[in-house]
Amino acid sequence: MNRFALLTLYRSLTRHRLYALLNIGGLALGLAVFLVLGLYVRFETSYEKWLPHHQQIYLVQTDWHMENSPFNGAYPNTMGGLLDELKQDFPSLTGTRIEPVPFTVIRNGIGVSEDGARVDSDFSKVFDLQMVQGSLASALAAPANVLIDETVAQKYFGATNPVGQTMTLRVNGEQGSYRVAGVFKTLPKATDLVFSILVPLPPHANEDNWHHWGSTSLYTYLRFATPAAAHTFEAKLDDFADRHGKADIGEHASKTLQLRLLPIARRHLTPAGMQAASAKQTVVTLGIVGTLALLIAIVNYINLATARAGLRAREVAMRKVLGASRAVLVRQFIGEAILMAAIAGLISLAMAELGLPLVNAAGGLSLAIPYSLAVPALAVLVVLVGIGAGFYPAVLLSRFPAASVLSSSRAPGGGQAGSRAREILVIFQFALAIAFVIGTLVLGAQIAHVRNADLGFKRDGLIIVRSLAETESQRGKLMTAFEKLPMIRSVTLGGSNAGGSGNNNADNVPLPGQPGPGPSLRWISVGKAFFSTYGAHLIAGRVFDDEHGSDDSTHRGRNDTRNIVINRQAVAVLGFASPQAAVGQIVGKGNPRKIIGVIDDMRFFSPRVPMDATYYLYSPRTQGFAVATLRYSGDLRTAMAAVKRVWQQIAPEIPFDAASADQRLDELYKADDNAAHLFTIGAVLAVLIGCVGLWGLASFNTARRIKEIGIRKTLGASSFDVVKLLVRQFLRPVLIANLFAWPLAWLALRRWLAGFDDAITLSPLYFLAATMLALLIAVLTVITQSLRAARTAPAWALRHE
Amino acid sequence: MIRLENIRRSFISDDVETTALAGINLHVASGEFLAIMGPSGCGKSTLLNTLGTVDRPTAGHYWFGDRDLAALDEARLARFRAEMLGFVFQSFNLIDELTIEENIELGLVYRKDRHRDGRGDRKTRVAEAMDRVGISHRARHFPHQLSGGQQQRAAIARAVVGDPRLILADEPTGNLDTENGTQVMDILTSLNAEGATIVMVTHSPSHADYAARRIDMLDGSIVASVSRAI
Repeated sequence: MNRFALLTLYRSLTRHRLYALLNIGGLALGLAVFLVLGLYVRFETSYEKWLPHHQQIYLVQTDWHMENSPFNGAYPNTMGGLLDELKQDFPSLTGTRIEPVPFTVIRNGIGVSEDGARVDSDFSKVFDLQMVQGSLASALAAPANVLIDETVAQKYFGATNPVGQTMTLRVNGEQGSYRVAGVFKTLPKATDLVFSILVPLPPHANEDNWHHWGSTSLYTYLRFATPAAAHTFEAKLDDFADRHGKADIGEHASKTLQLRLLPIARRHLTPAGMQAASAKQTVVTLGIVGTLALLIAIVNYINLATARAGLRAREVAMRKVLGASRAVLVRQFIGEAILMAAIAGLISLAMAELGLPLVNAAGGLSLAIPYSLAVPALAVLVVLVGIGAGFYPAVLLSRFPAASVLSSSRAPGGGQAGSRAREILVIFQFALAIAFVIGTLVLGAQIAHVRNADLGFKRDGLIIVRSLAETESQRGKLMTAFEKLPMIRSVTLGGSNAGGSGNNNADNVPLPGQPGPGPSLRWISVGKAFFSTYGAHLIAGRVFDDEHGSDDSTHRGRNDTRNIVINRQAVAVLGFASPQAAVGQIVGKGNPRKIIGVIDDMRFFSPRVPMDATYYLYSPRTQGFAVATLRYSGDLRTAMAAVKRVWQQIAPEIPFDAASADQRLDELYKADDNAAHLFTIGAVLAVLIGCVGLWGLASFNTARRIKEIGIRKTLGASSFDVVKLLVRQFLRPVLIANLFAWPLAWLALRRWLAGFDDAITLSPLYFLAATMLALLIAVLTVITQSLRAARTAPAWALRHE
Repeated sequence: MIRLENIRRSFISDDVETTALAGINLHVASGEFLAIMGPSGCGKSTLLNTLGTVDRPTAGHYWFGDRDLAALDEARLARFRAEMLGFVFQSFNLIDELTIEENIELGLVYRKDRHRDGRGDRKTRVAEAMDRVGISHRARHFPHQLSGGQQQRAAIARAVVGDPRLILADEPTGNLDTENGTQVMDILTSLNAEGATIVMVTHSPSHADYAARRIDMLDGSIVASVSRAI
């Protein structure tokens, strides 16, 4: 670009400020959306990539393939003793285990909960954590050593050198003294390795389940020099599982339980077990939204630039006459586009910086712009966007025939140039905008549905106390004290609770007269008053009570008949015609269970996890339960404070961990809520960018038709006729856009909704509403200019050029 | 200097072929002032655009000196225009975003030799060209701040700033009142007297009289060629 081209651009932008604002503003907004969502995608896909040699580290997955089981899928954890068994067969294997267990730091008799893990002494051979003090390898050699991260060091030792100091820790319920042997750098945010304290993993060999195939208690990581080595090793795992798993799982154990290797960097976005692929889907969707928002902004540029092409035809022709070749002109116009994109890029950085706090709040994120990376990336993007946006207008403009343009006294080109392409681009923009609106409506409706759906129990008025695990000796006392609080209506214990706290257990229930192991059902052990505390809906029969001594399953042998309550799903799975028909029936052959009642399905888990067929067993004692549920009346804060007071009196050394059922359930909805918020922000901005473009286009098109309007008015057209004419011109592409938007949205949303167990139906109303909204937006966008044009005096309009 | 041999130009739209130039043979000598006249649609402007290489003939040869311009590609033609031609239009065609001085300087920027000219030299040439047409006092103004006559004088300055071998003027007085029209014709005449070759399309017989030779066109053909008695 020569000086004159720059001068022309600068003066053109300052003379046509609105055009400059629309074009640069639209582009900046598109770039900002792209930038912010790009940061999000980068963050989500960067998990564990900060680890040195992350390409060599693999997580061992336990992949279940059980018949009719609700738990099938690949889980990220394994049995505790797996690594020992692997090393028996493959002695040269490098691996470590990470066992996340409850960690409490005790100071002055008060316990504070921390994220901690027990790891093998070989941990350092797999994970090369950056040490601030001490050596990772030697620190884990002594059983009473502890490694802490900088944050924990600062929290407990302040300015004092922590190395050599003693910490009293309760690790998995066992209290002991540990010597700080090293400090590692606090792990970055992009990690699923959640620990700030590490202690050596003690020998477990004699513990229950440590070598029980099918149990899962910790994470096993292996390190291989090359992906090929990992692949070769993985191929041997089926035979290994067949050899070692035979005793617990039976012949051909690998057909039921497969061990697989997952590269650690892929762990974060790989759905665990029965989860639907929501995280990956969210990242992909938001990446697409960001890209499309940028694409819409580029389309705006193309539309506005080609619409204005007519106004520049004379300039182009004159430059040609003066000897500018087409190549020179194409370079000039692409240069202009790159320059505009560069200005937009700078503004977009400011927009992103200003918008990030809002986006972080809406999406539950903590993104920041890494300038050292963002600026060069933006520079490349600016050039690409400039070329992408500038190419077509440049070719179109440079193609103007100089002779006819210069000999005509009319505004050459008159905005006709590229008008078909512009219409196609408007259709494209609005197809995306309408699809985004449909998406936003459906996402909102599904999220609201999940929040308001009947979960089969009364979700308000419940407090879930999760810190019961370490209170074996005080549990009974705690429960009695809770019950005595004036605002507490009832208390109960459950193996599984609202919000997903507790255990996952399932077993097969053979059906009378039918061969095979029978369907696999989830089972939940429940304490006194479980169903009444939760407010479960009884459909048939009765629930457990102490008057029926036979309800207590605690001391019954495997062959004794135990009373169970089943949920509605189980009625069908167990093959009964109705809930009433199930009551009184005995299922389970050698391990007989008598159905005494049927309750409605109680959804304790994520809306993305299928509702399982479940049966409940009764255990009126407090042993074995880790979570209590309390039903309170009145204010949550008062109730919570009272419960906490009781806790701190009875078990001060154990950190109190409780929340309302609503809060626990919210955590299950959070990922989808956050994704919906981000999608909505992206979609609304994309629609806004589209509107900015449409507004600009409408203003140019209206200006172009001023003379035509004058002629029409002279011939008797009313202002209304003129408005109708101009508005209709824009409604056509918007209506056509629906033909593309509807199927696109339908396909995408059907896929998204399939991830929910309880999904709304894709009603045509969402589609119609989005179309009406798009039409309304389009009309509002163009109506002011159409009205102004319609009111112009015909004589002035006729003179207008 | 210029020799057109059987130049034909036809336009095809919607299966209708319109012949704008029907076999033009024309010779323009170096230093000549030639006027082209004829009714609207007779092909005057097409002929001028062909001479200016902004329109390509459908058939025939266009010799400029010993070069056949019909054989040149688009990029070479652009260079040819930059170095050899100066254009003046009825509607001035100044670029709105540039000042008068910058518009005139634009007449030099696409020349291949522009890198040899320092900006100082360019400024001198622009100043001379403005002096020649009496527009120096308006150098820093934008086109819309000038009268039609002043704009046309600026356009002439832009056309001559590069010392072209041929000046093509397409109804240069068409949008001007009598006084401004006369001023423009006087400038063209003095340029011609200084040695410039000029081809001008005009509707005005009195302005055509400024030229040494006049050709009349009708339906794409030259029907008369009249030299002014000196």
